[in-house]
Amino acid sequence: MNISRRLFLVFYRNLVSYKRFVVSTLVASLVQPLFYLVAFGIGMGAYMGAFGGKSYLSFLVPGVLITSVMMSSTFESLYGAFVKMIHEKLYDSLIATPVSAEDAVAGDILWGAFRGLISGGLMMIVAFFMGVFPVSVPAGVLLGVLMVLIGIMFGALAMIVTSYAPNFDFFNYYTELVITPMLFFSGVFFPLDNFPGWMKTFAQFLPLTHAVQVSRAVYSGVYTKGLILNFAYILALTSVAFWFGVMRMKKRLIK
Amino acid sequence: MKTIIKAEGLTKKFGDLTAVDGISFEIQEGECFGFLGPNGAGKTSTVRMIHCVSPITSGTIFVNGSAANVDNRKIKAMTGVIPQEITLDNDLTVFENMMVFSKFFDIPRREARKRTDELIAFVELEAKRDNKISELSTGMKRRLLVARALLNKPFLLIADEPTTGLDPQARHMIWQRLRLLKSQGSTLILTTQYMEEAQQLCDRLVVMNEGKILKSGSPRQLIDDEIGREVVEIRAPVEDDPRLLAELGPFACGHERAGDTLFFYCRDGREIQKKLVELDLPNTVHRPATLEDVFLKLTGRSLIE
Repeated sequence: MNISRRLFLVFYRNLVSYKRFVVSTLVASLVQPLFYLVAFGIGMGAYMGAFGGKSYLSFLVPGVLITSVMMSSTFESLYGAFVKMIHEKLYDSLIATPVSAEDAVAGDILWGAFRGLISGGLMMIVAFFMGVFPVSVPAGVLLGVLMVLIGIMFGALAMIVTSYAPNFDFFNYYTELVITPMLFFSGVFFPLDNFPGWMKTFAQFLPLTHAVQVSRAVYSGVYTKGLILNFAYILALTSVAFWFGVMRMKKRLIK
Repeated sequence: MKTIIKAEGLTKKFGDLTAVDGISFEIQEGECFGFLGPNGAGKTSTVRMIHCVSPITSGTIFVNGSAANVDNRKIKAMTGVIPQEITLDNDLTVFENMMVFSKFFDIPRREARKRTDELIAFVELEAKRDNKISELSTGMKRRLLVARALLNKPFLLIADEPTTGLDPQARHMIWQRLRLLKSQGSTLILTTQYMEEAQQLCDRLVVMNEGKILKSGSPRQLIDDEIGREVVEIRAPVEDDPRLLAELGPFACGHERAGDTLFFYCRDGREIQKKLVELDLPNTVHRPATLEDVFLKLTGRSLIE
């Protein structure tokens, strides 16, 4: 794999173009998670009473935050990368410079992770004003680092999908069959404890499950041994998806 | 003259399709070298291998001593590419396009600014400096592609059908700029299917078809070898061929029938001209031979005796 520091130049290019979209994308990445927090957290939460000793909102925030990271990085790698590849032919002009195809794709995955960090960071701020925040400042910083890692994971997974996509419609398979179900079976809105055994096992295969576990631990400050497995899963999947996504895209870009 | 590009047995396959079929060629420093051919002849595949955005199936290319497929970053750093498709960054302005692109070549900011200003002036886009790409006409976009390709002061400039879809004014302006660059010592590779473009710009060229090089040489030399100096076109039904061949054949060095037209190729058209007047044929054209005649003869289906 021919990756160099030039991937940051691709990141820089995205940053220059981003200033035109910053407001609209911030609104977009804020509104949906905010609805979840208000509707479920405050609306439904009022009927749920104490939830493991805390408010339902404090259960919900870490999961919704990670979900917004997932959404931002996923969509950047799906639609963003596809437009650059097919419509704008941007990758074609990039790879004619000393930037390699691997740099270009890696730079865009990293960019998606950055977008995820912004979305997650915004959620953290909003939740702060709702009275839910990480147990300490260092924990908040740690969460930021984890958001980048998790953003790379979901961005790389989506990049694999993009590398096979013949058109936009193809993305519906991924968003409807993978992303949306994951939202409900990864313990974002309710704990997995009451699921039947096979469903619990199934949930363990979903990357979002592990990401939510890690986020919740950082918020609560309760670190269990199981977290090592969650973290190991995230690291392993991130590495494999990143490698595979970059290689697949390279194959598609360089013919 | 120094050879700066040397290709041997160059082959490109896409699955079962052989796009480039074991071709060899050499390009000298400071010349404009053309690849001519119909769509699908393998021109673009060939130049894409030269500037390292397409892996070589077999064979070798050396660019200024560096092997393509091996020293890709090095070759790409010294090459400028005017692509066939418009690959400008639509999210950015003209100025930003240039500045961001110069980053990819590690050009320091101040130098990038200087070159950007110079090059925007070079292609006469000063008035559009802060406009977005969507606000430019196709001609302006192509001019910007020329400017962008020059940012890294390339020693080799590759123009892949640089004037496709342009009006005559814009086309001539691009030609002038390319000629100016050549006069300043740049080596130029041009692919085109416009014969006029090749004749205007190329010192030497190859005519490609179905992945192979059919002929190579200077435009003048190719015309001389393949056609002669002059062409007489006679629009007449096929049934007239025997009569016309008997009358005019002896004065021509070759003839060809394509559709409704009979072509005679000759070195010296005076005799045939006299004969034409004698025969008083209604639909005739007598003109100098062009590269287009060579092209059609080499890549067309017709035969010549």
